[in-house]
Amino acid sequence: MNEPLSILDLVLNASVVVQVVMGLLILASLTSWVMIFQRGFALSSIHRQATDFESEFWSGKDLGELYVELDTENSDVIGLESIFASGFKEFSRSGQQDGADQERVMQNVQRAMRVALVREEERLETHLPFLATVGSTSPYVGLFGTVWGIMNSFRGLATVNQASLSVVAPGISEALVATAIGLFAAIPAVIAYNRYAAYVEVIMNRFEAFSDEFSSILDRASHQR
Amino acid sequence: MNLSSNEVMTYVTAILFALLVHGIVIGLMSLNWEESVRSYTELKPYYIEAAIVAENPYKAKEERAVDQEKSRRDKKLRERRKTEARLRQEQVNWARQQRLKTDVKPAEPAVLPEPTPVVEEAGETEVDPESVRSEFADELAEALTREANARKAVTDDEKAMAYVAQIRREIVQNWSRPPSARNGMEVLLRVLLIPTGEVVDVKVEDSSGNGAFDRSAVLAVTKARRFVVPTDSQRFERDFREFTVLFRPDDLRL
Repeated sequence: MNEPLSILDLVLNASVVVQVVMGLLILASLTSWVMIFQRGFALSSIHRQATDFESEFWSGKDLGELYVELDTENSDVIGLESIFASGFKEFSRSGQQDGADQERVMQNVQRAMRVALVREEERLETHLPFLATVGSTSPYVGLFGTVWGIMNSFRGLATVNQASLSVVAPGISEALVATAIGLFAAIPAVIAYNRYAAYVEVIMNRFEAFSDEFSSILDRASHQR
Repeated sequence: MNLSSNEVMTYVTAILFALLVHGIVIGLMSLNWEESVRSYTELKPYYIEAAIVAENPYKAKEERAVDQEKSRRDKKLRERRKTEARLRQEQVNWARQQRLKTDVKPAEPAVLPEPTPVVEEAGETEVDPESVRSEFADELAEALTREANARKAVTDDEKAMAYVAQIRREIVQNWSRPPSARNGMEVLLRVLLIPTGEVVDVKVEDSSGNGAFDRSAVLAVTKARRFVVPTDSQRFERDFREFTVLFRPDDLRL
């Protein structure tokens, strides 16, 4: 064999099972990279938005004005803004009713904000379970492909009279490609999962702190009334 | 989950980025792949070849016996010519030596039953090619008739030759030459056997002048202890009861 085996030849000459495994892994790798980039963009944009909104919130602007601005600006309000919007909407709605109990109003506001918080957390954590799954299972899938390929190449060795390394070597090489792809898919997925999980945690803490602060502000406002 | 246009945009860019990453990785891998593989293909494996260097002489004999008569004739002719040439060469070398009355062979230790045709020829130093040819023709006719009688039977001569070759091989196997052995040394032994093939006596007929060399030759025969001889007692008495062995280390450098 003077011709060096190209990686494409290895993949194309592999047995069907190994090829299916490789295809699955490449698909998983592509999808997980899509998730990685998408999450990266989404989380950083939410983080930035939250920073912007907080600075605007603490700038001493009238909260009603801020709310109207948000509501008219864009229909989909996300992140910190949605927590503020749901809390303020509930406060203004309950406050409009005559003879409303202040305590009940505050309870409703807090419940509304908690609901918004949960929804936001859900939104932040989309795709993270997928990354975790890819990170933990694709090495095994790749290993399965490798074991299968090596199994086949050794089975082929049984029928050969003169067992030489060049008989089994291509089979093992193409089988090992499956493990390589599995690891290639898994490593970035695991890293991204850990990183984004920590990032989501940070953002959620920020949201919770904001919602607490905001509810205390509303509480104060309702007492002043 | 309803997606906003903003989110759709992030997905599109993410897909593009993911494809880019994979493209770069696959490109780098296939680039480095070729280089790394090429450096390894330069290594040439070496093989240790094993081949069969000797075959069973008896099996060869049988096969030859079954062979067609033509190939048989050719073979005989070749053998005859070889012996003749050998004898001529010997003549030049040792015709003047006293040992001529006994058998002489150019190979290593030579075992020659005295009454075999080869020895007869060794006795008459001057051989007319014509007479050899006619003699051979007679023998061929004889062989043909014999073959007609028993197709697969091996001729007596061939049988004897086979025994001689076997004895020679056994002696060579047991012979360990002393360091003082030199090219041109010769020792002639007279070996006495009993019908079971066991060696009962070994005598130095013609010494080489080197005691260690003589002893090594005697030891080689006594170590063999027992030779395979024909079961036919008449044949044994004629050819194998008593024979001489010539030891000559031809293959030595010194």
